Amino acid sequence: MHLGEFEQLVLLALLRLGDDGYGVSVQREIARCTGRSPSFGTVYTTLARLEEKKLVGSRVGEPTPERGGRRKKYYVILPAGRRELRRSLQAIQKMVRDLDVSWELP
Amino acid sequence: MSRPRSTSDGAPGSSPGEHVSPPLLAVWLLTHALPHPVREPFLGDLHESFHDDILPARGARAARRWYWRETLRALLAAPSMHRSLRAAPPPFLAPGRDGPMTTLLSDLRYALRLLARKPAFTLLAVGTLALGIGATTAIFSVVNSILFEPLPYPEADRILTVWQHIEGGDRALAPVTVPATAKFVTWGKDRSADLDLFGSTTYNAITRAVSSFEYTAAVGYETATLTGRTEPELLVGQRVSWTFLRVLGVRPALGRDFTRAEDVPNAAPVVILSHGLWRRRFGADSGIVGRVITLDGAPVTVVGVMPAGFESILQPDAQIWTPLRYDLSIPSYRDLRVIARLGPGATARRADHELDVLYQDLVRQHPDEYAHGNLMVVSLRDQATRDARPVLFAVLGAVLFVLLIACVNVVNLLLAQGAQRRGEFAVRSALGAAHTRLVRQLLTESVLLSAIGGALGIGVAALGVRALIAMSPPGLPLVGAISIDARVLAFALFLTMTVGVAFGLIPALHAARGDLHDDIKASSRRTAGARTTRTMLVVSEVALAFVLLIGSGLLLRSLARLFAVAPGFDTANLLTMQIQTSGPQFATDASTRAYFDRVLAAVRAVPGVESAALTSQLPLSGEFDVYGLHSESHPDVDYRLDPTGFRYTVSDGYLSTMRIPLLRGRAFTEQDRADQVPVALINETLARSTLWGGDNPIGQRVRVGPSNRGPWLTIVGIVADVKQQSLAAAPANAIYLLERQPWRFADAAMSVVVRTMADPAAMTRRLREAIRSVDKDQPITRVATMDDLLARTAAGRRFVLVLFEAFALVALALAAAGIYGVLAGTVAERFREIGVRAALGASRWDILGMVLRQGLALTAFGIVIGIAGALAFSRIITGLLFGISSVDPLTYLGVTGVLGLVALAACWLPAMRATRVDPAVTLRAE
Repeated sequence: MHLGEFEQLVLLALLRLGDDGYGVSVQREIARCTGRSPSFGTVYTTLARLEEKKLVGSRVGEPTPERGGRRKKYYVILPAGRRELRRSLQAIQKMVRDLDVSWELP
Repeated sequence: MSRPRSTSDGAPGSSPGEHVSPPLLAVWLLTHALPHPVREPFLGDLHESFHDDILPARGARAARRWYWRETLRALLAAPSMHRSLRAAPPPFLAPGRDGPMTTLLSDLRYALRLLARKPAFTLLAVGTLALGIGATTAIFSVVNSILFEPLPYPEADRILTVWQHIEGGDRALAPVTVPATAKFVTWGKDRSADLDLFGSTTYNAITRAVSSFEYTAAVGYETATLTGRTEPELLVGQRVSWTFLRVLGVRPALGRDFTRAEDVPNAAPVVILSHGLWRRRFGADSGIVGRVITLDGAPVTVVGVMPAGFESILQPDAQIWTPLRYDLSIPSYRDLRVIARLGPGATARRADHELDVLYQDLVRQHPDEYAHGNLMVVSLRDQATRDARPVLFAVLGAVLFVLLIACVNVVNLLLAQGAQRRGEFAVRSALGAAHTRLVRQLLTESVLLSAIGGALGIGVAALGVRALIAMSPPGLPLVGAISIDARVLAFALFLTMTVGVAFGLIPALHAARGDLHDDIKASSRRTAGARTTRTMLVVSEVALAFVLLIGSGLLLRSLARLFAVAPGFDTANLLTMQIQTSGPQFATDASTRAYFDRVLAAVRAVPGVESAALTSQLPLSGEFDVYGLHSESHPDVDYRLDPTGFRYTVSDGYLSTMRIPLLRGRAFTEQDRADQVPVALINETLARSTLWGGDNPIGQRVRVGPSNRGPWLTIVGIVADVKQQSLAAAPANAIYLLERQPWRFADAAMSVVVRTMADPAAMTRRLREAIRSVDKDQPITRVATMDDLLARTAAGRRFVLVLFEAFALVALALAAAGIYGVLAGTVAERFREIGVRAALGASRWDILGMVLRQGLALTAFGIVIGIAGALAFSRIITGLLFGISSVDPLTYLGVTGVLGLVALAACWLPAMRATRVDPAVTLRAE
């Protein structure tokens, strides 16, 4: 199984958020860390795909007034999700290690 | 787009902040497109982010744009979400096979390809439709917000105003008691009158007797000067009974409503502020409630602040509300409007009945004070929008004509296309396509066209609404509420679909009709059937354009007539401003007069001032200050039958500054001192009235106001009539008093009129400074040149005229294009025939005449139908005409001439092309 970059970001966000992972918090976390602000459509498509791959699970939360009385859907990373994420990040680390990358422009 | 929605989120007025909610249409779209498991959390997330992240950071407009962007992205991502969640996708995404959806999709694809292949045609059709739909939607959004949307109060349809209908005149309006500080208002005599102003006793009686009303409130006008930290400011407000906000069903956002104990004589003064005033003058200080501010020099405690977006519809510019504090057992002056909220289960009809019973009782008990007539209820909306309604309906009617013409033009374009596509349809039908299938294909094309046109039209409408608001006449209520909301969008959608089907059906049926085999064989360009239809369409275009041209012609001539009316004085180089006095230092008449005298001296000393004077009432300013007039030598047995007239209390030099001619007798002079015999001038109309019993009015004595009090004034001269209300108003009685001579009271507000040597607008600053140097705490209001005031009196007419002119020009252009199209088509089709004619000896002039005759016959036919249409429809604007009848022959003649000339121009090019046909070429081809 291969994880796309945005999938990695979403899984990392869920890891960082613990049990407070839902659409808005994931979106904010990614925006805060990466400086880019993904649309909710993208976030939800990715979450749905991760759920389909059984990498994340979800539960329905409580309705709140600031959400127009709508309930939240909390997402948590499943053990398979952690495994995939670790593998994916390790691959990147291996690729980066021993590499003398010059980040400056030539 | 950022109109406050008090109903959709939270209780109205629950917070003084802005009420902005996500766009309803976007929410609706998402609700229907997202897969079930994520629908609720997704919408919740968007809502949360909208309110917590985006709205505070970027403001309402940007937040709404953001919401739409998110919606579009989510819609694009929806199919992928559906796949992942393995939820059943909604039906319109289902990949059916040969179902109706597939056919529609293939029709759509085909139509799109076709439109892309003919960019000129597509651009023309889409542009025409966008203009038509956009203009109609823009006008509808104005009409919708002002006339149809519920007023911004809860259960607004249960709020009523009370009116009084009086049979045979306004006798009941003679003053019972007139407080010294107020101005007495009455209407013209000798006609039935519908009035909405009451005294406190009538209000009190209604409050007690009518059980259908849950709350009844009295509302009066007031102005007060706010002084304090910054420059003094004159505020417009309403004096209201403590029940006022309960009738409207609105509560202050901060603080509280008035209590019953605050609405009694001598109660401690309190005030409720508008949200705008609170932000502007008090920096949105949340500790304002309980603070004391200075109004008219007296301390007043602030008890509340109204919510943002609250508009008191009977006085849209009101910024403060104070309790009435009347002793309701003492009769007051008729200056109160009565509004009421129906109680649970009560109906307007029952309220009407109760009011009727009450009024007959009042007439029986107080025959002196109440004339025969009755009371009735009118909905608050009708009351507030009554002046705007005829204007708006006239404009709506006109824009519908433009839409019709736009549709006709597109039908014409489609028919021309259809003529070229007959071969294609013949082949498709030969290959087994059913007629219904072909009709559907054509309908799909036309609906697609109108959908694109409609989408662009909404953009046009958004621009149009902005332009309309910018040019709307002053005094139009609810202007702040004008917006393109869900209902307007629904209207535009409905319009687009209707237009698409309506104009698609004609060419579709046309194309699918008849024997198509002939068309395969001949691939003929002879399309006689289509030509007849097209000719008829052009005739109807000409007719529609004619009706619109008549409308704008009538309005144009009315306006010209109106401005040809002499106002009775010289309006050029005249600057006017109103000065108010407020505060305890003006408790006596003497101090008020002294202040105004000093102001006048200061103004006269400003360089560039030719002359200056004061008047209590300024012509064409909207002021309406009318009193009863009573002659000493001809006392009527019933003083209430005496005439009324405008009262002008003026300083020296008023007549000469305004250049109002003296007709007989003498003007005011230096010798008319305060201690001399009080004198008056009257206007020509009053001089001719029956008040003098046929005698010469000069030398007679007259009382202004009540017949039994006040000084007798000796009439010394007669001056020319001056228009007070508007140029359109009929001549009215007027009487001029001299400011320094004693009358019943000194006016608390006077207007300064300044005749300047150069551009009056350029003098404004220096004059303001001169007046403020006398007393910096007295506000200067309504600064305007007389020419501006004059133009403002016709603003409503001008607004309609500008729109009619624009619509008529569009109509004329479209009609000309239609005529050109049809003639160009016929000339092309008749190439061979023309060639033969030329070969047989027809001269160029013969051929030119032949084509022109055809075009002009068509125009003439259209004009004849147009005359019938104009006669039927010009009734709509009768109320806006002045000085001409709606069947004004000169207008009809002129419009016929203009239309004829334009038609001739449109015929000319095709006709010239016909004359250049070379017989040799066409004959060889044959």
